[in-house]
Amino acid sequence: MTSFRTLAVLSLAAVLAAAGCAKGESTASGPEPAAGDGRQVASTPSAAGPACTLEKFGGQPFDLTKDMVGFSQSEKEANPFRIAETKSIKDEARKLGVGNLRVTNAQSQFSKQISDVQQLIAQGAKLLVIAPLNSDGWEPVLAQAKQKKIPIVTIDRKINAEPCTDFLTFIGSDFYEQGRRAADQMIAALGGKGEVAILLGAPGNNVTTDRTKGFKDRVAEKAPGIRITFEQTGEFTREKGQQVTEQLIQSRPGTNGIYAENDEMALGAVTALKGAGKSPGDVKMVSIDGTRAAVQAIVDGWLHAVVESNPRFGPLAFETARKFAGGQEIPANVVISDREYTKENAQSSLGQAY
Amino acid sequence: MAAAPPLLEARGIRKAFPGVLALDDVSFRLGPGEVHALVGENGAGKSTLIKVLTGVYQPDRGELRLGRKQVAFATPLQAQRAGISTIYQEVNLVPQRSVAHNLLLGREPRTRLGVIDLAGLYDAATRTLSQYGIRVDVRRPLRSLGMGAQQMVALARAVSTEARVVIMDEPTSALEPREVDTLFGVIDRLRGQGMAVVYVSHRMEELYRICDRVTVLRDGRLAHTGPLAELDRLKLIAVMLGRDVAEVRERGTTTFSGDHEVRGGPLVEAKGLSRRNLLNDVSVTVRPGEVVGLGGLLGAGRSETAKAIAGAFPVDAGTVLVAGRQAGRATPAARIRAGVSLLPEDRKAEGIVPALSVRDNIALAALPRLSSAGVVSEAKIDRIVDTFVRRLRIKVTSPHQKVSELSGGNQQKVLLARWLATGPKVLLLDEPTRGIDVGAKAEVQALIEELAAEGLGVLLISSDLEELVEGADRVVVLRDGAVVGELAGGQVTESAIITAIAAGGGDD
Amino acid sequence: MTELTAVPVIDKARLLSWLQQYGVYLAVLVLLLFNVLFTPHFLEPANFRTQLIQVAPIVITSLGMALVIGTEGVDLSVGSVMALSSAVVVLYLGYGAGPAIVVALLAGALVGTGGGALVAYVGVQPIVATLALLVGIRGVANVLVPQLREFRNPTLIWLGSTSVAGLPLVVAIAAALTAVVAFVVRRTVFGRQLVAVGSNRAASELSGLPVKRILVSVYAVSGTLAAVAGILATSRLQASDPTSLGLLMELSAITAVVVGGTPLSGGQVRVLGTVMGALLMQLLSATLIKHNLPQSWTQMVQAVIILAAVYAARGRHP
Repeated sequence: MTSFRTLAVLSLAAVLAAAGCAKGESTASGPEPAAGDGRQVASTPSAAGPACTLEKFGGQPFDLTKDMVGFSQSEKEANPFRIAETKSIKDEARKLGVGNLRVTNAQSQFSKQISDVQQLIAQGAKLLVIAPLNSDGWEPVLAQAKQKKIPIVTIDRKINAEPCTDFLTFIGSDFYEQGRRAADQMIAALGGKGEVAILLGAPGNNVTTDRTKGFKDRVAEKAPGIRITFEQTGEFTREKGQQVTEQLIQSRPGTNGIYAENDEMALGAVTALKGAGKSPGDVKMVSIDGTRAAVQAIVDGWLHAVVESNPRFGPLAFETARKFAGGQEIPANVVISDREYTKENAQSSLGQAY
Repeated sequence: MAAAPPLLEARGIRKAFPGVLALDDVSFRLGPGEVHALVGENGAGKSTLIKVLTGVYQPDRGELRLGRKQVAFATPLQAQRAGISTIYQEVNLVPQRSVAHNLLLGREPRTRLGVIDLAGLYDAATRTLSQYGIRVDVRRPLRSLGMGAQQMVALARAVSTEARVVIMDEPTSALEPREVDTLFGVIDRLRGQGMAVVYVSHRMEELYRICDRVTVLRDGRLAHTGPLAELDRLKLIAVMLGRDVAEVRERGTTTFSGDHEVRGGPLVEAKGLSRRNLLNDVSVTVRPGEVVGLGGLLGAGRSETAKAIAGAFPVDAGTVLVAGRQAGRATPAARIRAGVSLLPEDRKAEGIVPALSVRDNIALAALPRLSSAGVVSEAKIDRIVDTFVRRLRIKVTSPHQKVSELSGGNQQKVLLARWLATGPKVLLLDEPTRGIDVGAKAEVQALIEELAAEGLGVLLISSDLEELVEGADRVVVLRDGAVVGELAGGQVTESAIITAIAAGGGDD
Repeated sequence: MTELTAVPVIDKARLLSWLQQYGVYLAVLVLLLFNVLFTPHFLEPANFRTQLIQVAPIVITSLGMALVIGTEGVDLSVGSVMALSSAVVVLYLGYGAGPAIVVALLAGALVGTGGGALVAYVGVQPIVATLALLVGIRGVANVLVPQLREFRNPTLIWLGSTSVAGLPLVVAIAAALTAVVAFVVRRTVFGRQLVAVGSNRAASELSGLPVKRILVSVYAVSGTLAAVAGILATSRLQASDPTSLGLLMELSAITAVVVGGTPLSGGQVRVLGTVMGALLMQLLSATLIKHNLPQSWTQMVQAVIILAAVYAARGRHP
């Protein structure tokens, strides 16, 4: 028993030491993005769907500076997208002087997200911003919010419910459109013909489905000379992207282009290409997200283009809320315009990538 | 009796395994209302025959008849459905569930809603058990019962499933004398109902108490079959061993020859071993060349005393000296280094390592001595294994044979070899001959003699009073964890031991 | 032709037993043959290099798992330990690659020792003790390195990308560790003792074996090997990604061990079988990827193989 206690103490000491003495590599990191750079712009502020007003929704006006605002994040802030998303909400709230912002994180557990939001409601939030983990299963939360007339703004993923009745509005990218634009970049890079492989995202995810369909639809209508010969999931991770690409380039050396449905898989693919002795540009690559590392890879010549999926929802979310509280009309979907990074703008835009 | 058609009959059974002919033209008849002893040394073919009768094995040749019908069992379940139930040494039930659930597992009475009718279940279970003279609270989990009571439940379950033939393999090995009586009562009742019982046991007195007929197997062949009353004990042993009656008579049924020459001061001295509620100030001394018996009933503290000396049973107080010196920390490793070795009572649970070969089992405890810098020396192991396989006459096809494939007697010899390989000064033997066949038993007893003659000290625990009396120079009698008597020389008789146990104060 | 119908009857139990021990070799052979016939570019050296490189971390982790399973235990923490070692190695790169690797290995050994102590001294069931570590250590790794972190240290990148005489260093390391573990299992006192502990702990204790020390050591070795795998995976990815690195590795490792013919009931360690088990799973996944079939099929086929392995194992103890 004593030896066990000794072990436990030693383990604890070691963990503390590990954190305490850590000394990372000194790498020159890029400049921090300047505030306001790369902020989202709504591409369809009033066009899509029937509009919603405070009167129609049936709520009371709220004051962002005094009332409590809840933000429920779905996944751990472990990838650039989630980090930038949460940071953007917090930064904008600080800028606008939101007095009482509560942030929760569901750690990728849907049941936790439901109870997170229920707690925010119980604590008296007057506005809820939710980055949903799932599209379905929100009925209990929506019913509670509706009873208290709390407007909900969902960001980045949709939920299956009635806008303006069950919730206020959705702000996010059009993933299908992202896929189409990635296809346009790929078609341009290959001159309209060649063999293309797709690194799919995590299976059973609507982001994966939309980005795949958009890409394929566009290729089918614009470039019949391009054949999609390979589709395998890289599960949105760099390691799987690398492993699948290693298999791909070995068994299908004729592959001309790789479309990665997020940047992490694209960067994994780059590592695989480097490992196989390829040079930048040997295989044309297009991906989606717009992280700093991916934009840097464009500068280095490994990626042809990156379609952005902008995570900085803060300004647009609060602006939408303010308009709503002020009695203005709000569309059912606020679709944001995502930009593209290519060789032409990559170097100069590096500071704006997240 | 002979006129009645047999209930179960096997004719000309032959079963071969690679390299072994386990059964060679064996026939076996079992009449209704008959308790039939099936005996033989280990390796004689008893368990193979049972497995053929119960559908575990399919015979290569020969036929099985149930009543007048010829049958073939592809699985044990088919045999069970045909009315042949088997009670194994280990109880095959669900220990966490209640006695009643176990008893009626799969046949629970149901309410109209299809839910188990608990009241009905407990009622039926109580009734079934009381038929066999067993009175327990059927709502208690099975594991809270003693081994004996668990076995009775297994038996009751077997016979209440419309069995016509019940096969009992060493049913009494875990039972207290009182439980044995109950079991025999049940067997009598089964006999009265016209059921047939195949009774396998190494305990001679039990065979003569309960069995009507006997079949003796030797080396896979039928050696004898007939009424047990026609064969006295000596003759039976002679048939089993294939030896002369006169030879057996002369040497007795144990191979112990009498007193040993005791030389020098104490080899091991255990003083004042105590542990709350289990051991109370037990002191035992063994000198070189001496066999000291530990007598007493089950639960008297015999095994605990041996384990405490071996460092495998923590004590609150007491010291152990080996050759006059403190025997190191109370761990098996330290005591083995000091020269104390324990052959544990439960061969299967605490002795053999089933996944390992005979060779690795023998070498296990002595590995540190058979290696250098942590790397084992195969040559040293081969040498020591070879020595002991030969000296103990362990029957193996090769030292690399899995130990689990050996008979009980040979497994016991492997364990003895494991302990002898550590070069012990003192051997603590806890029931060294229990559950092994007559031949192996004689060999183990002879070995104990031999080791004592070589100057080892032996502490012998045995429930077999005859073995204790003939084998031990001195007997220390325990009761309720305390020493209640010590007998030496001419005092060591069965009746003296029984008197000591009975007179040992306290009441029960 | 009709004479050929007199096929000898094969004892089913013996067949199953044979399959449990050597089925994995047969399956690898069949899969190789299929690929040689139907997969373009399969016989190129680059292909074998790819498969061996990718399987190396799984092999290394499975070796440790095989030892733990040999003691009738299981180590669910291996995937999280990989993530931890990955986080630690980049955190300490400032001191140079050598010291960083040493610290990461120590971290793995320490976690293993902790798990082993819980099992041996506190008596927690292995599955519970290491499940706690699976959750907890992944958390620690995420705290240490909250998001994917790239590194430029040339030594660490070299480790994951260089070849020695045509053999990738990563593969050479896996092969060397396999040889060491095989030696330990077959020829050392420790190897014999751990198997005995797995087969019958009470008998081992009574035979004077240092059971608790053996258990702690086995888990420590498993933790260390998982750390090696984590470091190699990190060096290959040229980034540390504790959120996803080693996810579900415990299942891959257990699968490799079981498919390789080591029974979960302990008392046996089949080192080469385990390596073959890992190779089988790797080849299976590669085959489906190369033929552009959905990877969910891999999981289904894996399930079938596991069931077959478990069924064959059952046949050994009638």
